[in-house]
Amino acid sequence: MLELEIAHTWPGFQLQLHLTIGTELIVLFGRSGAGKSLTLRAVAGLFHPAFGRIVLNGRVLFDSRSGVNLPPQARRVGYVPQGYALFPHLTVFENVAYGLRGPSKEIHHQVMEWLDQVGLADLAGRRPHQLSGGQQQRVALARALAIQPDVLLLDEPLSALDAPTRSDLQTLIRKLQRQLNIPILFVTHNLAEAVLLADRIAVLEGGRLLQVGPPQEVLHRPARLEVAHLVGVRNLLRGQVRGMDPEGLRLSIGERELRARPNPEAPPLPVGTEILVCIRAEHIAIVRPDRPPPPERENLLEGEIVGEIDYGLAQVLFFRLHGPRLTPERDYDLEIEIPPYVYERLGLDRIRSWTIAIRPESIHWIPWGEGGEGPSAFGPAYPASPIKRDKLR
Amino acid sequence: MDWFPFLLSAQVATLATGINLIIGIAVGWLLARRSFPARDLLGALVTIPLVLPPTVLGYYLLVALGRTSPIGQALEAVGVPLVFTWRGAVVAAAVSSLPLMVQSCRTAFEGVDPELEQVARTLGRSEWEVFRTITLPLAWRGILAGMILSFARALGDFGATLMVAGNIPGRTQTLAIAVYDAVQANDPTRAGILVAVLSVFGVLTLVAAQQLGRRLAA
Repeated sequence: MLELEIAHTWPGFQLQLHLTIGTELIVLFGRSGAGKSLTLRAVAGLFHPAFGRIVLNGRVLFDSRSGVNLPPQARRVGYVPQGYALFPHLTVFENVAYGLRGPSKEIHHQVMEWLDQVGLADLAGRRPHQLSGGQQQRVALARALAIQPDVLLLDEPLSALDAPTRSDLQTLIRKLQRQLNIPILFVTHNLAEAVLLADRIAVLEGGRLLQVGPPQEVLHRPARLEVAHLVGVRNLLRGQVRGMDPEGLRLSIGERELRARPNPEAPPLPVGTEILVCIRAEHIAIVRPDRPPPPERENLLEGEIVGEIDYGLAQVLFFRLHGPRLTPERDYDLEIEIPPYVYERLGLDRIRSWTIAIRPESIHWIPWGEGGEGPSAFGPAYPASPIKRDKLR
Repeated sequence: MDWFPFLLSAQVATLATGINLIIGIAVGWLLARRSFPARDLLGALVTIPLVLPPTVLGYYLLVALGRTSPIGQALEAVGVPLVFTWRGAVVAAAVSSLPLMVQSCRTAFEGVDPELEQVARTLGRSEWEVFRTITLPLAWRGILAGMILSFARALGDFGATLMVAGNIPGRTQTLAIAVYDAVQANDPTRAGILVAVLSVFGVLTLVAAQQLGRRLAA
């Protein structure tokens, strides 16, 4: 178990976080400059925060109050920095053996075992520059794990790799995680990777911890506006509570009323309370005219497609409602993401007027004012006007 | 042909380079890896021999190490006087070639990614072991290039050596001083040979240093 408490101030930046990590893989997720790497370096003893306390399995590694500050050598930490930092003048074998002591026969045995684990046993005599990126990362992992660390720190370990190699290494890291039974801190700014690997995701922004939770919770129930932005919620709207009942919440956005699911984390809210409404673009469905959903369950809205972007693997539609608008200041109300084959099959390039359906479970909401909002926070995330398909051609 | 200046110069330059190797690695590492209040001052001090006239340098050494100075008296008491001996020539050559050595070492150490050292520390190795097994092996080409440059500079020192060690044939007369002596004695043959040897050696060392530098960069 790793208990982390760090506070440090630079001109214009403050790192402040408190986190307890069990024998799990926790992903530190956030933009560049959010403080993710600094947090790893603090655990490794390569950065000394002004205040804080770091305790690993009951061993105090760092405590600013009592003046404890173990050097990196004494921390038993497996650290894999960005870019791997393999020793270029040593062979693969020597790299992995670097942290080991004892009779050379014993070392040889251990190194070969670790190289076997990461699938590089036949490359022991190579130098780092003779290896591919994925192989280098495997060596770095084996080197960090060979010292039998109490915690594994991985700083953007896969961001420089091509997609198939990345996928292989994700599998390897998950295999190692099940074997090792130690906390793993994994830094990434790749959301898909975070969701795939994490037991829990810790969302960092501007040196602060915004939310910690299982991937599905962070993805679908962001606790704050910034988290919603970071996990890719593209429909963020300001609304009001209209009423609450056991089935959920009635809310209004502009003149529109929608049904949403209950939010177990939020207290009962009086009518008229301002809320932030989050709807994932992937969770809005286009209703086929021949198969309408039961209207008492779903929110059905009519409108037209006013623009789209083709991302190859996904099609993003900009949808404007007929009648009362949600966001009259823009020329569209909602972003919808659908697979390209749905776009083709329904003929969305020709037929522009549709009914869309949003399930109440897909509408997440948080009280306004509990998540660092303010109208200005909405501004930069949106294009001033939707990019029309014909403009892209 | 008197071969004494060749032997003396080789001996002086070798010893001077040996001394500079130790000082250069220590000071070069300090300048590359540590930040402390007097770092710029230290950097300036070890570079000043490059810009001062050799006679000024020699004058300082003479005052610092001469018979009237505390250091000079102490050295005399233990029987190893420096001034007007070949040992003085070693000191003069070392001081005047020190900037090249320190600068080469500093650049070589700065070229070693600090992250490699940090990872080595997390793997449990002591500071000295990290230096010995990571920093030094990765910097050695730059250090070697610095040694070659430093040796060549030490071999060719004239002004400071003349001030500190004097021009005593058969005792303190190095190659560079022997050239001056030959010209003064109107012996162009001897001067020509000495000059040719010094020049060829200088070109060879610079070529070697450049090749090392290129392999370092690659």
